[in-house]
Amino acid sequence: MQSVADPILVVDGVSYSYLDKFPALVDVSLTVRRGEKVALLGANGCGKSTLLKVLDGLVFPDAGSYHAFGTAVTEQHLEDQQFSEGFRSRVGFVFQNSDAQVFSSNVRDEIAFGPLNMAMPLDQVKRRVDDTLEMLDIADIADRAPYQLSGGQKKRVAIASVLVMNPEVLIFDEPTAALDPRTQHWLMELIVELNRAGKTIVLATHDLATLETLADRCAVFSEDHRIIADGTPEDILADRRLLLSVNLIHDDDPMHEHPHMLIP
Amino acid sequence: MHIPDGYLSPATCATFYGASVPVWLTAGRRVKKVVRNRYVPLVAIGAAYSFLVMMFNVPIPDGTTAHAVGGVLIAVLLGPWAAVIAVSIALLIQALFFGDGGVLAYGANCFNMAIVMPVVGYAVYRAVSRHVSLTSTRRAVAAGLGGYIGLNIAALCAAVEFGLQPTLFKAADGTPLYAPFHLSQTIPTMALAHLTVAGGVEFVLTAGVIAYLQRANLPIMRINHGSVAETDAELELTRKPGWRWAVVGLGTMIVLTPLGLIAPGGAFGEAAPADLNLHKYGLSAVPSGLRHYAGFWHNAFFSGYDFSNDKHPVVGYLLSAGVGILTIGVAILAIFAAVRVLRSRGPRRPDLVEVRS
Amino acid sequence: MTSTATPAWLLDSEVGLCPCGCIGTRKKANLVDKTIAGSASLLRRAMFADDTSAQPGLLQRVDPRIKVLSLVGLLVVTSLVHHIPVLLAMYLATLPLAVASRLSLRFFVKRVWLFIPIFTGVIVLPAMFSFITHGHIVVPLGHWFGHRVGLTSQGLRSAGLIVIRVATSISLVVLLTLTTPWVELLAALRALRVPRMFVLVTGMAYRYLFHLLDSVTDMYTARKSRMVGRETDVVAGRAFVGASAGAMFGKAHALSEEVYSAMIARGYNGNARTMNRFRLGVQDLVWVTACLAAAVVVLGWDHAIGR
Repeated sequence: MQSVADPILVVDGVSYSYLDKFPALVDVSLTVRRGEKVALLGANGCGKSTLLKVLDGLVFPDAGSYHAFGTAVTEQHLEDQQFSEGFRSRVGFVFQNSDAQVFSSNVRDEIAFGPLNMAMPLDQVKRRVDDTLEMLDIADIADRAPYQLSGGQKKRVAIASVLVMNPEVLIFDEPTAALDPRTQHWLMELIVELNRAGKTIVLATHDLATLETLADRCAVFSEDHRIIADGTPEDILADRRLLLSVNLIHDDDPMHEHPHMLIP
Repeated sequence: MHIPDGYLSPATCATFYGASVPVWLTAGRRVKKVVRNRYVPLVAIGAAYSFLVMMFNVPIPDGTTAHAVGGVLIAVLLGPWAAVIAVSIALLIQALFFGDGGVLAYGANCFNMAIVMPVVGYAVYRAVSRHVSLTSTRRAVAAGLGGYIGLNIAALCAAVEFGLQPTLFKAADGTPLYAPFHLSQTIPTMALAHLTVAGGVEFVLTAGVIAYLQRANLPIMRINHGSVAETDAELELTRKPGWRWAVVGLGTMIVLTPLGLIAPGGAFGEAAPADLNLHKYGLSAVPSGLRHYAGFWHNAFFSGYDFSNDKHPVVGYLLSAGVGILTIGVAILAIFAAVRVLRSRGPRRPDLVEVRS
Repeated sequence: MTSTATPAWLLDSEVGLCPCGCIGTRKKANLVDKTIAGSASLLRRAMFADDTSAQPGLLQRVDPRIKVLSLVGLLVVTSLVHHIPVLLAMYLATLPLAVASRLSLRFFVKRVWLFIPIFTGVIVLPAMFSFITHGHIVVPLGHWFGHRVGLTSQGLRSAGLIVIRVATSISLVVLLTLTTPWVELLAALRALRVPRMFVLVTGMAYRYLFHLLDSVTDMYTARKSRMVGRETDVVAGRAFVGASAGAMFGKAHALSEEVYSAMIARGYNGNARTMNRFRLGVQDLVWVTACLAAAVVVLGWDHAIGR
């Protein structure tokens, strides 16, 4: 077992542009250590979602490097079946749009998709799927089609489809966006609980109210796609000028002295 | 144009499944080669889109609205091979789940709307839009024209499938066992409906969508138009004269195709409402077309078999239908080969490029 | 899972038949309303099928693989039959099956026979006349240039054959789709050796159909809310259709890219792997035997009457 301070995801000087024209990341460096809860903070379009995609090996930097668990994550390396299976099962990604993530024709198939791709034996897949359904309290909707699910249920299914692979690192893109307060609360509790169980959490958000619960470290993106600050939520939230400069608050915004603590 | 079960004989249905399967396999291989792992989401959502395109109502001048099929639109957007699969899957969902179009007739429906329509329409589109920039109006018109011609050829195929039934499959007393109309009736009827209203609707939808994407979402046109110059000015820089005549020839061939197919319809000598053959009333005569066809086989390839004495006319007709389908299939593949050869001489323009995200 | 039954009248609005629109009713309705109604009816039909396939009926108990095979087999038998009484018997036999599968008989009959007059009836009507189908005139309607015209026995028989054959075929397909959840239908296709890739794509297409349908409805509802009175400008209407269908494609493509990422993120490498979870029971054996017996009886009877 490695120590808590062990860096597992290391992004170094990464730049990335869409269609070679629109920059999304400019010289970004970030190190995620085992067991951390890291929040990427920034306004819409600042590049935080792109960084998450880099971390999950979905896009590959134009410049700079990305290492996960000590190995460089590149397009070529991911072509390798063994490396790909290892990496994909260790890093899980919960997308912002559950509709894109829940693509199978029913809930059970959706959750089984990942383990089946890992070539897990069938009876083990079935057992795991049942356990995950139970754990996230969605066993009653196991045979439903996605269009019969509510937004909150879809989110649960999306999370189940990732958790079933038992990843070490969980990446969430805007986890609390567009959810009703109840589901939001449930999800925040779940993230905290997963972190306590030893999972490393990386998430992107612009929701300052949930920050202190969901993160013990924040990286702040400027609108020109760079990381300009890295610190504890308390320090970042106290820096009103910083938050103003990256458009996370506006002038007449009553500053959250004490962000709402949804979880006591 | 969705043929339900009960209109076509089982033999016809089997024939069209047989004709469609190799095209599906080829299409699957071709698309997978180009888009690799993207295959499933791209084709799946292409199929969902293709299903929904049939739900868009286009207003027509008499104050009502009508649907388009959209086969050529999908071909222009995703490439013809992806369109073959996407439209086939849309038709499968319609047949299995919504009961639109038969299950046994699924092969024939796919042949008409998912194979002939996108492939022919796309060939027309490529021919007309050759050497035209991505944003040019002519490109939208070319797509519309492709839609119009593609739909009409597909309708013609359906008309031929229907029209052969009463000649091929009848009871001892002459009762048609499946669709009762002859080629001389089905072809003009389908042509009238599709050359006017349905074709116009197809043109409007196909051209309208392309024109909109040219204005509002040009990057998406790149899915199937990898390296086409964006503006006329850019185009001037890359222009290479050359094989234009070959393209004109190919286009003419395609446009003339329906004429060639309509011609034998007249040769059947069957009574059409407009062209009544008065001598036949009250007679349960063997259609003269039957003898004509049987004679054709007799003279042509199968002289060793005696089809001419009306003893095995069905076999003769089945053969003729099968050979006809085979000919159309070979022609389609030949058109593709020709387009590919032509393309390989010009600047490379892949059917599908991986979209950079 | 608890399901609330969708009442049959919900489906009465408009029979969504041949979507190509070449044949069928063209109501004088505004294009926006019509498209919204079309989307709603599609969703309703899917919901209705979900409800009926969850009922504890006869066909719901049969293994989906067996059901697909047997009903396709019966479709082939239907298309081989050459005599009206035999076909009629087959059609009548579908009615008790529908009832035993907890389908409303009224709905079942209506769903089939609403289709017939629109598509088949109109087409077949002229075929009864001697102009189209030559033969023995049984109902003379007068003379035309000295020749007798009227309804022929061959024409009548042909029209009857096609109407009943279409009705029976549709009934069989409706029986299959209304008693089998879509997911099981897909799984059955997979088990029957339809290529997995094809089944995967079909399942995903169906899933995103409903997702994109929401976008269509949203776009058209937004348009409706901005419209005063009836839409009369045909040119503007066409431009809107082009734009909305174009915008839809943009959305669809962006979605496909997102789905692709989501698949890759969970280890997708181009191979479709799936779970199968069917087991055959006694009821399946009974059903197969019954279908085979029915096929033999029907084809034997049909041959006995003559070709």
